[in-house]
Amino acid sequence: MQENSERKGPSAKNASFRTFLSTASTYRPRAGMVAWLLHRLTGLFLVLFLVAHIIGLMSLNDPAAFEIYVTTFRSPLLKIAEVMLLGSIALHAFNGLRIMIQDLFYRSETQRFLFYLALFLTVIVTLAGGTALIFPYFIAPLLP
Amino acid sequence: MNRMTDKENAVHQTDFRAVGWLMQRLTGIGLLVLLALHFWLQHMPNGFLATAEEYNLILKDLGEAGPDFADALASGMLKEALPGEHVITYEKVLERLRSPVWKTIDIALLVLALSHGAQGFSRVIGDYVQRVRLRKAAVAVVWITTTLLAILGTTVILSVGVN
Repeated sequence: MQENSERKGPSAKNASFRTFLSTASTYRPRAGMVAWLLHRLTGLFLVLFLVAHIIGLMSLNDPAAFEIYVTTFRSPLLKIAEVMLLGSIALHAFNGLRIMIQDLFYRSETQRFLFYLALFLTVIVTLAGGTALIFPYFIAPLLP
Repeated sequence: MNRMTDKENAVHQTDFRAVGWLMQRLTGIGLLVLLALHFWLQHMPNGFLATAEEYNLILKDLGEAGPDFADALASGMLKEALPGEHVITYEKVLERLRSPVWKTIDIALLVLALSHGAQGFSRVIGDYVQRVRLRKAAVAVVWITTTLLAILGTTVILSVGVN
């Protein structure tokens, strides 16, 4: 790798948590960068979840263990986590579609609009699905 | 002639990464369909989950079936369904996975999700781990873990409802 000879900025020379903080605090976020960051963060979260999910499903070998496994995910706190899972999947899926559209049709001038569209669709799907998920826990008790 | 020049090696690497790029799009499209279906089936209120009434009946039967369940009910490790709640339960999963079509769909989802995740995670490693040998080792660990999880998951799906 030849990075060392090519990097000249002060942040590369004195790479530290402090320079990271000063860069992060003065950074002006733009749609493309935010899309990249969210795609990466949701992707890493989904990979972690996938590993835990597959290991958890080993309980399918034993009916009692499976019912207990499923019940742990029915606590109010984990119901909210389930909504966040849906939101992560939706964002990763819609932003992934946006990446594909840009790559295949080379429409770089529409990338910002498509990112806002992806965010909008994510909010719609998360609100609709999330309401159904938390209804028995948080909404039904409030109804007369 | 046996050893590749740096340039040939670079071209070879690019080809390999291009395959990963294409695979990421193909598995992504597959996941778009299968994951939407999966989330709909297992998380949204519909016939593939037990209704609150069905689930509470199942719990009642289980409590009488054996000491494991009775203990779990007493300690709160099993809880009754809230009004209107839909619950994933072993019976419903078993009912669905008896069909070879559903088994095939679930294995396809498993393999697509694992390969998409491993490919993406390898890209992230490639962005941050700059020492070549360490990077290759980390990516190898990712793919070995992925293969083991694929074998584990496929075994679980295939064995549901067999005995």
